[in-house]
Amino acid sequence: MSIVLDARGIGMSFRNGDELTEVLKGVDVTLQSGELAALLGASGSGKSTLLSIIGLLLRPTTGSITIAGQRVDALSETDRARFRNQRLGFIFQFHHLLPDFTATENVAFPAAAPAGRMTSAMRQRARDLLDRVGLADRMDFPATRLSGGQKQRVAIARALMNNPALILADEPTGSLDRLAADKVLDLMKEVNRDDKATFLICTHDESIAARCARRIMVKDGRAEQVRTQQQLELRG
Amino acid sequence: MMFALTVARRYLLSNPAQTALLIAGVALGVTAFVFITALIEGLAIRLTADVTANSSHVSLEQEVRVARVLPGPAVNVQSVALVSTFQRRQIRAWGPTVALLRSQPLVSAISPQISGNAFLVKGEAVAPLAVTAIEPSALDAISPITTKLIGGDADLGADGLLIGAQLADNLGLSPGQPVLFRTDRGVDRLLTVRGIFRTGLLNLDERVAFLSIRTARPLFRLPEGMTNIEVKLHDPGQARAFAAFLRDATGLRVTSWQERNTTLEGALFAQAQTGTLIQIFSLISVLIGIASALSLSANRRRGEIGIMGAFGVSRRFIAAVFVLQGLLIGMVGAGIGCLTGFALCSWLATLTKADGSMILPIAASQGRYLTVFALTTLGAVLASVIPARSAARLDPLEAIQQ
Repeated sequence: MSIVLDARGIGMSFRNGDELTEVLKGVDVTLQSGELAALLGASGSGKSTLLSIIGLLLRPTTGSITIAGQRVDALSETDRARFRNQRLGFIFQFHHLLPDFTATENVAFPAAAPAGRMTSAMRQRARDLLDRVGLADRMDFPATRLSGGQKQRVAIARALMNNPALILADEPTGSLDRLAADKVLDLMKEVNRDDKATFLICTHDESIAARCARRIMVKDGRAEQVRTQQQLELRG
Repeated sequence: MMFALTVARRYLLSNPAQTALLIAGVALGVTAFVFITALIEGLAIRLTADVTANSSHVSLEQEVRVARVLPGPAVNVQSVALVSTFQRRQIRAWGPTVALLRSQPLVSAISPQISGNAFLVKGEAVAPLAVTAIEPSALDAISPITTKLIGGDADLGADGLLIGAQLADNLGLSPGQPVLFRTDRGVDRLLTVRGIFRTGLLNLDERVAFLSIRTARPLFRLPEGMTNIEVKLHDPGQARAFAAFLRDATGLRVTSWQERNTTLEGALFAQAQTGTLIQIFSLISVLIGIASALSLSANRRRGEIGIMGAFGVSRRFIAAVFVLQGLLIGMVGAGIGCLTGFALCSWLATLTKADGSMILPIAASQGRYLTVFALTTLGAVLASVIPARSAARLDPLEAIQQ
């Protein structure tokens, strides 16, 4: 298995007046291709900040990031945006679907916008992905007519549209009820298993983290690997 | 760009009522622009036409003779050119000047004239006159007198005289009556009133009389020259430039109708400036409306814009979505505004008073439709730049977290 994410010595501090707050203190995170990892931590622990840094939405104060073999921490804003578009997928707590577009158009959006047009091939891939996430009968529905769980499934399909090397999910089930949350998590596990997609899921929910193959705990600005029950059992 | 246009169109159609209101606001501003422009242009055309309809566009006459100091470095005393200021001001070589005028395509009519002052005397009554002597065949060349005759005919003959209705009333004259004509050269002669005209302008109807050049020559003691040559142009607007050309070409004193009516010209200029200010303010209000509506839209869609940014959609694409919204609003609003403006002006142009004249001197064809369409569209694009820039610069993370 190849390394998809190699983040080394990630540090992040914010200045608030005279006060300097150090959120991350030299965090190292490595993900292998096809892993499903949970990024755990209490509220304010810095896990979302770490996810944003890995997602190239925030620049770290210190450290280096290599994703899919490419050093990305020093890229220009334009190149970071291009990299995000081509190599990363995002799933947020609030799906942020475009309400004026259908499910298919929402999924195809990350491919269509940089290309300047929506080709029939993009549309077909979007439909295939919607079929994959169990929304074959909702492809032409406007985003506003989908339920919360269905919207999050569309968001997962959208994250997969450009065949990303790494999918980052920030509290993906945070706005869903238990049943819908389980279905969404099942879907992510299924995609991880069948498509060998690499997931890093940021959550504060232990029950969700327990279903991931690997857990990374962020505490006091540092990350530590936590073996899951499954891993502990395997190690005997 | 095509996909950005699709997104822009969807954004506009997502809230049809708000978009319709926005477009209606633009259309209203453009309609106001068209109306003001057509009204001001129409008013200028009417005033110009009223002023130039009964008078010439360019007048040529001899320069005023003045004594002048002769330069000469070797002469210690000042020398004075002896120029008689007592000679009649007349254009002696008027034939070549008329020939020159005939060769100019701008010229529509030429009327060499003898102008002078005289009195009509009837019994104890004496009325002052401004006399215009013309070739009978060119009677209507400058002012359409024939069509304004209310009595008699336009046959000037050897002793004929055309006078205004007010003068005829004052002196109790009617066609066919003889009247004593006394010029400022002290020559008396009995002339016959051949026709009476009414122009509607008191100055003309009370003070002006026409007779033939052949009759006028002995009366004004002018055996060969002309006092002035009056010219009409196809386009009165060219009068000033044409007068300058004639001044150089003939050495005569040439006056355009604008120079004779500086007050009118000043009024037209002030009116045009006022119109321009109103047009600018109506356009500015339209542009502020577009900018504020798009800013609100950008603010309302922060989450969507943030997610686009997170997906790596370029800032240029996001900016293009908002600029294209401005373009669409500007084009549709300006198009509708031009159509409604034209319809409004055309309808207003049909409203007439009892005498058949227009209530509003509006010129629907002068609405500067292409100009306002281009200005509004361009302005709408410029107005959308501010919200477009603010949307494009939105930090994706900040927008998503909000």
